[in-house]
Amino acid sequence: MREENIIPNVKIAVVDEDVIIRDFVVGTLMYSVNREVLPFDNGFDAWVYFEEAGFPDMVVADVNLQEIDGYTLLTKIKERSARTIVVMISNKWEHEAIVAELGADAFLAKPFGVNALFELVQKFVVDESVK
Amino acid sequence: MLRLGAEPDIMREMELDDIFISRLQLLIIMSKAYLLEYPLGRHRVKSILENAQCVKGDAVGLAEDLDFIDSPEDAISTLEFDKIFYQRVKLLAVMAEAFAKGHTLEPPKKEALEKNLQSICGAITFNQQISDIQFLKVA
Repeated sequence: MREENIIPNVKIAVVDEDVIIRDFVVGTLMYSVNREVLPFDNGFDAWVYFEEAGFPDMVVADVNLQEIDGYTLLTKIKERSARTIVVMISNKWEHEAIVAELGADAFLAKPFGVNALFELVQKFVVDESVK
Repeated sequence: MLRLGAEPDIMREMELDDIFISRLQLLIIMSKAYLLEYPLGRHRVKSILENAQCVKGDAVGLAEDLDFIDSPEDAISTLEFDKIFYQRVKLLAVMAEAFAKGHTLEPPKKEALEKNLQSICGAITFNQQISDIQFLKVA
């Protein structure tokens, strides 16, 4: 059986102004990794926190955000912390090519479910090298 | 770039029904992980309790709505489940709250939990394979 481990002390942030979706994503990821997951309801607050407290290992953000939009947040994160995995959420297919060009690591198309979030964890947060 | 979620031609905003079903699927996985004795941790406990509370609240509300719907056009939800289904979901949420709070489920209750899971999974045609949640074995 394959041995799988969560990256130690992994830090994940979720940025979404829709509280219902944000709480669902935060809860699912928190359960998956058994770590605190940081919730933000707008891009500005998230950016200020990242600059002050350090960049997380993974950011899951909606394209449509207030104050700092998702494209800008993605670009700024990748400029300052290229190692941070950025997952962009959208309900519009047109956004996929744009976020790919801006350097997103994954595109999460709405509607999505638990399996998609588990796949994100498997792909980006499970460290198979840790024994 | 990894792509997950809906195919491009069916992308849309997520409705409350989507969230209810997704949270219910998460509760099913949480319960299966408990039955497999996967480790709990502080944050997992918090997540289970929050999720169970949301699912229970929605199930109660959706079941109550069934009493006031005269025609499908009046329905808030497009889900087509009966009252017994929502009772089963509510029971699942209560059991999840119990094991998350550290109450040990005796074998008969574990058996009841398994049967309830099977019934709910059948109704929503959801079958999360154990191999899909191997990473939950590590807390």
